[in-house]
Amino acid sequence: MSIFNASHGKTKNARVAVVAAGIVSPLGFGLTETLQALRGGQDCVGRVTRFDVEQCRCKTAGQIADERLLEHRPSGRKAKRLHRASQMMICALHEALAQDMRFKPELTVIGTTSGGMSFGQDYYRAVHRHGSLRHSPSWIANYPPQKPVIDAQEAVGISAPCQVIANACASGTNAIGHAFECVRSAKYERVLAGGYDALSELVFVGFDSLQAATPEKCRPFDRDRTGMVLGEGAAILALENLDRAKSRGARIWAEITGYGVSTDNFHLTQPDPSGSGARQAMEHALARAAIPVQAIDYINAHGTATSFNDAVEGKAIAELFDQVPVSSTKGMMGHSLGAAGAIEAIFCLLALENQFLPPNINFRTGDEDVDLNVVANESRAAKIEIVLSNSFGFGGTNASIVMQKFAA
Amino acid sequence: MSLRIAGMGWVTPLGRGVQPVWERLVAGEEASAQSIADGPEGKKYPFFPVPSAELKSLPPHPRLRRASAISRFAAAAGLDALEEARSTTLAATREHAKAFDFANSQNRRAQGIGMERIALVFAVSNGGVVYTKRFYEDIAESGAQSASPLLFPETVFNAPASHLAAILGITGASYTVVGDGAVGILAMKMADDLMTNEELDFCLVVGAEEADWLLCDAYRKWRLLKTQPPIEPFRHPPRGMILSEGAGAILLGRDGPIAANEIHAGANFSQRKEASKRIIRILSDLAGGRSEILIASANGTFVDLAEKNAVSREMPGATIYSLKPALGESVGASAIWQVIAAAQSLRTKRLPPLLHVDPEDAGGVSFASGKEASASTAIVLSCGLNQQVAALRLSI
Repeated sequence: MSIFNASHGKTKNARVAVVAAGIVSPLGFGLTETLQALRGGQDCVGRVTRFDVEQCRCKTAGQIADERLLEHRPSGRKAKRLHRASQMMICALHEALAQDMRFKPELTVIGTTSGGMSFGQDYYRAVHRHGSLRHSPSWIANYPPQKPVIDAQEAVGISAPCQVIANACASGTNAIGHAFECVRSAKYERVLAGGYDALSELVFVGFDSLQAATPEKCRPFDRDRTGMVLGEGAAILALENLDRAKSRGARIWAEITGYGVSTDNFHLTQPDPSGSGARQAMEHALARAAIPVQAIDYINAHGTATSFNDAVEGKAIAELFDQVPVSSTKGMMGHSLGAAGAIEAIFCLLALENQFLPPNINFRTGDEDVDLNVVANESRAAKIEIVLSNSFGFGGTNASIVMQKFAA
Repeated sequence: MSLRIAGMGWVTPLGRGVQPVWERLVAGEEASAQSIADGPEGKKYPFFPVPSAELKSLPPHPRLRRASAISRFAAAAGLDALEEARSTTLAATREHAKAFDFANSQNRRAQGIGMERIALVFAVSNGGVVYTKRFYEDIAESGAQSASPLLFPETVFNAPASHLAAILGITGASYTVVGDGAVGILAMKMADDLMTNEELDFCLVVGAEEADWLLCDAYRKWRLLKTQPPIEPFRHPPRGMILSEGAGAILLGRDGPIAANEIHAGANFSQRKEASKRIIRILSDLAGGRSEILIASANGTFVDLAEKNAVSREMPGATIYSLKPALGESVGASAIWQVIAAAQSLRTKRLPPLLHVDPEDAGGVSFASGKEASASTAIVLSCGLNQQVAALRLSI
């Protein structure tokens, strides 16, 4: 392990393998359940039950059942105090490391947008409404965004330094991309990457106040789309120097070959209408992977189903690619913010492994302004070798990664 | 090849600007505490605010019109760091000097200077807590229909980084890193990792924080906050810290007199009693015994003893200094402030006196007394309150 900056001045460009993955989302617990729901185009969005949404336009989200989270919770008093986000991270990390017990990370890079936000809400309400502060030390201790990452590591018996990225909705893809660059540069051999976010009232109401959330179905890239729905979940990928992974006989799920990032300074919440930010991120990812646009077989789009995002992302994709199959999987489970990029990277892994295109559900009518080859409503069997996954966020953060089927 | 500090910016309760703040610290000055009251009982807590006059010279920008204090602190520190780079370190390099002429960004664009070659890494702990509280207050008091669509975007952790990127015209990588008081060093480590990519010329690392009553109340309930100044470092038993606010910015490049040649990736501790062990390991990795100066994060809490134990073992001859008795605990900004103090101590060969310390609490370590400090290396150690520890070494 190189804990210092020993490789400055060297460009080694190591190949980067994904050797394990774990996921929990409204689509299911673990890769097997997720694959089934993903391939079947399951709609896992339902009425919000965690808090009152009576005054909101949007009343639905993709939620993870508490009962199932409890089934996976570690035993002990401390575990009872953990935030739901910690419980999700524990599930995802446990699944990933169970696949490769010898994977010992040197660094963990995780994306999130809101950490343990609901504990912050609980604290505010208790203080300002004379509520019980009996649990306040636990709320405060479990609120910070790094806590679910440290909790998950402790639960599986590892302790790697953590870099927690909060780049809004691009966080998960940024985390994977940065981890990819760390391994690619040969500064690190093994890095855990991923993202998490748990549904909270503050964030839900926030998107509702912006009228970005829809009271109807979430219909990415549809002409009549009316907005997003929120989701939640956690996903972890174990990245390793490919040669090292091969030499120890690790299973290689796929390679990550490219990462592109750009900052779009147009507006805090709106992308540049020209699509330049999205386009730059995709172009940089392709350049880093050293592949032409024609090499991409599938794009997992950010596709939030907001008017702005889909128009801009669709324009950028249409300008750069020639009728490549595109889907947004957010119609199935909602937008899980900091987890989204990591969850969607795992969807891409499953698509590569099982040779299918994940569906863009709730799609009715194409948008005449955006000429895309949308994988409408049902998954399709397809021969795919290289895929691209996009995540774009508030603050103008744009990130794209390229993943490739591993050829031994 | 080591990363080097090309410019720095500092916004603190003791003023703005690296040199003025440093001179006041060396003179043994400390910031003035004010009280903030809120909550149903109007409970008061002390904190160290940034004097509002310090930001009056901030150039107008549409992004700052509604931005919260944290974004303004960050903008001021970021601009100052780039201005220092433009006017001093990089003045010899014509293209770079133009690149950092932020007073004339149109000119920069016209010359085709690519701002994608500068990355931004923004360290934060509590983020835009003032607007977040105000946004949630509306929801809690009046229901979801009262939620403000103008406030919500400012509650997002990366809003200050987005504003800063827009002001500076940065179009490449921009990362907001969250964590506890150690996050500034974790951000430096991320910058170090990013700069492995030779397509980047510079990385601007910014740490910022704003103080609020709710934060003070939370830290008090967690038994970490004092109700009266001063912060008394290394006191046993610890008496608590006082929050402050502000920002620090460090422009990292490949030229400059101060090198950040060893940045440790850090470690986590699950219980407070484990903190000292983690620090010992990190200092051992950094070969701490070879450094004469240690800029600690001692803030009047459990951190102090953990640091003292580790330093007495791994760096027995070193002189310890902490900024926190003079400037308060600025959490997400604090480690960047420490790096600035370390760089200044190497540049000026001075170390300010450690305030409000009882010499009887030294127990095997040496506290800074305000005398000359002619060292060629300095270690910055940050032990956060929420389980993270990190450190780095600077050299001149």
